[in-house]
Amino acid sequence: MKKGKVLFLLILIFSLLAGCNAAPTTSGKKNEAKSEKLSWNNKKDLKGEEITLLWVNTDGANGPRGKILKEFTKDTGIKVKEIAVDYNSLYNKITTAVLSNSADIDLAEMDTIWAGQFMEGGIAYDLADAVPKDVQKKYTQSSLSSVMYKDHLVAVPFFSSTKHFYWNKELLAKAGYNAPPKTWEEFREMSKKLTKNGVYGSAWSWKQAEGLNCDFVSLVYGFGGKFFDENGAPVFNKGGGLKALQFMVDLTQKDNTVDPASLQWSEDDVKNAFSTGKIAMMTNWEGMYPDLNDPSKSKVVDKTDVGLMPGNGDVKSAAVTGSEGISLMKDSKHKQAALEFLKWMSTKKFQLPLFKNDGMYPTTEGLYDDPDLKAADKTKTVDKVMKQFEYGQNRPNAPGYVEWADILSAEIHEALLGKKSPKEALDTAAKKIEKAIEESK
Amino acid sequence: MEKPAGKSAKFRLMGKKQSKDLFFAVILLLPTFYILFKTFLFPIYQSLVWSMYKYHMLDGSDVVFVGFSNFTALFKNHDFWTATYFTGYFTVLSTAAELVLGLFSALLLNQMFRGRVFFRMIIIIPWAMLTLVNGLLWKWIFQPGNGSFTIILKKIHVLSASENPLWLADAHHIINSVVVADVWKMTPFMTLLLLAGLQAIPSTLYEAAMMDGAGFWKKLRYVTIPQLFPILMIAVVLRTIAAFRVYDILTVFTGDPTTSISYLTFNKAFRYFYLGEASAMAWVSTAIILVFIVLYIRMLKKNSHEV
Repeated sequence: MKKGKVLFLLILIFSLLAGCNAAPTTSGKKNEAKSEKLSWNNKKDLKGEEITLLWVNTDGANGPRGKILKEFTKDTGIKVKEIAVDYNSLYNKITTAVLSNSADIDLAEMDTIWAGQFMEGGIAYDLADAVPKDVQKKYTQSSLSSVMYKDHLVAVPFFSSTKHFYWNKELLAKAGYNAPPKTWEEFREMSKKLTKNGVYGSAWSWKQAEGLNCDFVSLVYGFGGKFFDENGAPVFNKGGGLKALQFMVDLTQKDNTVDPASLQWSEDDVKNAFSTGKIAMMTNWEGMYPDLNDPSKSKVVDKTDVGLMPGNGDVKSAAVTGSEGISLMKDSKHKQAALEFLKWMSTKKFQLPLFKNDGMYPTTEGLYDDPDLKAADKTKTVDKVMKQFEYGQNRPNAPGYVEWADILSAEIHEALLGKKSPKEALDTAAKKIEKAIEESK
Repeated sequence: MEKPAGKSAKFRLMGKKQSKDLFFAVILLLPTFYILFKTFLFPIYQSLVWSMYKYHMLDGSDVVFVGFSNFTALFKNHDFWTATYFTGYFTVLSTAAELVLGLFSALLLNQMFRGRVFFRMIIIIPWAMLTLVNGLLWKWIFQPGNGSFTIILKKIHVLSASENPLWLADAHHIINSVVVADVWKMTPFMTLLLLAGLQAIPSTLYEAAMMDGAGFWKKLRYVTIPQLFPILMIAVVLRTIAAFRVYDILTVFTGDPTTSISYLTFNKAFRYFYLGEASAMAWVSTAIILVFIVLYIRMLKKNSHEV
C-alpha cells in the first residue's frame, strides 16, 4: 500500500512534468504586447492613472527625487508608485521582474551599458518612433548616444554624466602647485610630491567592479588608445590601453602614491576618503557637490575644485561617460501615462530641481544657458563640468558587455595586485572577451 | 513500523464515509500541491532541462540544444574550479571554527554564574543581524589603515607598525576575512544548538562519572561529547549546507565572482543571463553538496544505532 502511494505520487509528478514544456523559448522574443500607438503630444486625459517607477533613490520620499514625483503628480494628475533601490540592486530588480513576466513596473532607470540587453532581451520598449526626431535633437549628444543601441532608442535620457577630476586646493598649494595637472605625466610627478604625512597623491575606485573599468576606460583614451574598435573587437591591449594599465600599476606599485585601500574601494568610498582631506586628487562622477561643501559631511569645505581630466600628448582630456536613461518597459500596461512622465522628465520642471538638490546634470542642451540654472549653481562648477562632457568616451553597450566587463575588471585587478604583468593581463582579457563574443554569435 | 501497517489495515476497511473524507482531503490538498509543484518541483525539473541548452536569454541569440556540453565546458572552466576551491575552503574553515568556538561558549553558558541569562541573550545579537548589514559592518572594520581590525592587530603586535594589509583586495585575503565575519555572525547559532543539547544531558551521568573520579577533561571526553554527538552532527550539517551557499556577504566585500560557486552561478544566471550554463553549474554544486549530506546522514544514523 505504502509503495503504491509513493508510486502513484511519482507517476503524478512525472506526468505533470512531461505535460509542461520546460524547454526554453527563443530568447528575448516574448509575445509582443498589443502595440498601441504612443504619442508624444498626447491629448487624452490621463488623470488618475498610476505608473510604477523603479529607480535609484536612497534619500527616501522626502529627498530630492521623492519630492519631484509629487510635483509630477500635481502637474499632470498621474500618480507615481515609486520603487526605490540603491544602484547595485537596480539591475537585479529589473531583470527579476522581467524574468517573471511581471508587468508591475512601467518605468525603470537604465545605465548606459545595459542598453543592448534591454533591447535584445525584449525588456524595454523601443522609443525611436514614440519620441519625435526634433525632440531627440534637443538632448545633448552625449546623453542621447548613451541611450541608443543600434537604431533603437532604448530609454529617454535621465541625466548626463562623465567622470571628472577633483583636487584639494589646499594640499596642492602646500606642495607648491597652484594648478591641477594637465597631463597624466604631470599627475604622476605631482603625486610623488603630494604623498607624505599620511596624505596620498590620489585615491581610486579600483575594487574589482565596474568602477575599475570606468577609470581604465578614461585612462585608455587619455593615453590615446581605444577600448573597442569599430567592429566591436577589444583593442585595449595595444598602444594606449597598455600604457594606461602600466601607468596604473606604476602608481600603485612603484610610486606608492595611491592610497592602497583603493583596491577595495568603490566610488563612494573614494568620495568619503577625499572629504576627510587625506587625499589630494581623485576622479569621480558629478554629484560630489553639494556634499563636499557640507560641513556636516566634509572636512574640505571650499577647499576643493573640479576640472578636466588630464590627457597625454595630443589628447587634451578624456573621461568615461556614465549617463543614464529611463526605459519604458515592454510589458507595461500604462505606456501612454509612462511616456508622459518621460516627457515631463525632459523639461525644466524636473531637471532644474534635481540639479539644484541632487547634483544631477540636465540632458537637454538648452537648459545649460538657462539663467535659473546658472543662479542655482552655487559652487560655480557647471561650466567646468560641462566642458568635460565634450571629451566623453562611451563604453560599448552590446548585450555581452556585462560579461566582458567582469572579465576585464578581474584581469586588471590581478595586474594591480602584481600577480600578472599589464601586458599579460590585458592580453588574457582580450582573448577571453573575443571568445565570449564568438560564443554568443 | 507498527503504525503504518495498522493504518493500511484501516484503509482497507474503509467505508463509504471514509472514502468521501479521503476525497475531500485530496481536494483540500490540491491547491498546496499545485503551488508547491509550480514553485518548487517544476523549476527544479526546468533547470535540468535548461542545463542542456545554450540559452542566452538577453542577447537575442538562438536557443540551441547542446546535450551535456554545458557540463563538459564547466569541468574545463578554470573559474569554476577556483570558485569550488574557495567555497570548500570557506565551508571547512568557518564550520570548524564555529564548532570549536560554539562548543566552548555553550559549555561556558551552561555553567551557573551571575548574569547567565543576560549573556545568553546578547549572544544572539550577531545571529539576528541581516547578513548584508553584517557585511557592511565588517567592510568598515576591514578598511586598511584606519580600520579597527588592522588597528587591533597592531596593538596586540600581530602586525608590525609598517604593515598595512589589504583585507579585501586579493581573493585569498577576502575569503579569510569572510571567514572571520561569518564566524562572528554564526557562532551564536552553533552555541544555541549545542546549549540545548547540553541541557538535555542528564546530570546523573556526570555524577556517576565524578564518582568514578573523572575530571573536567574526562567528563568532556567520555560524557559530554558522546551525548552531544547527534546534535553536534546536525549543527555541522546545517552549517555546512548554509556555508556552502555563501554569497550575499561576498557581494558586499568584492566584485570577484570566483570567490564562491553561488556567486559565480548567480552572475551567470542573473547578470549575463546564460541560463543554460548557470543551470548546469547549479546542478553540479547541488551534486557536490548532496555527497556531503549523504555522508553526514550516514554518520548520524550509524551513531544513533550505537546509542
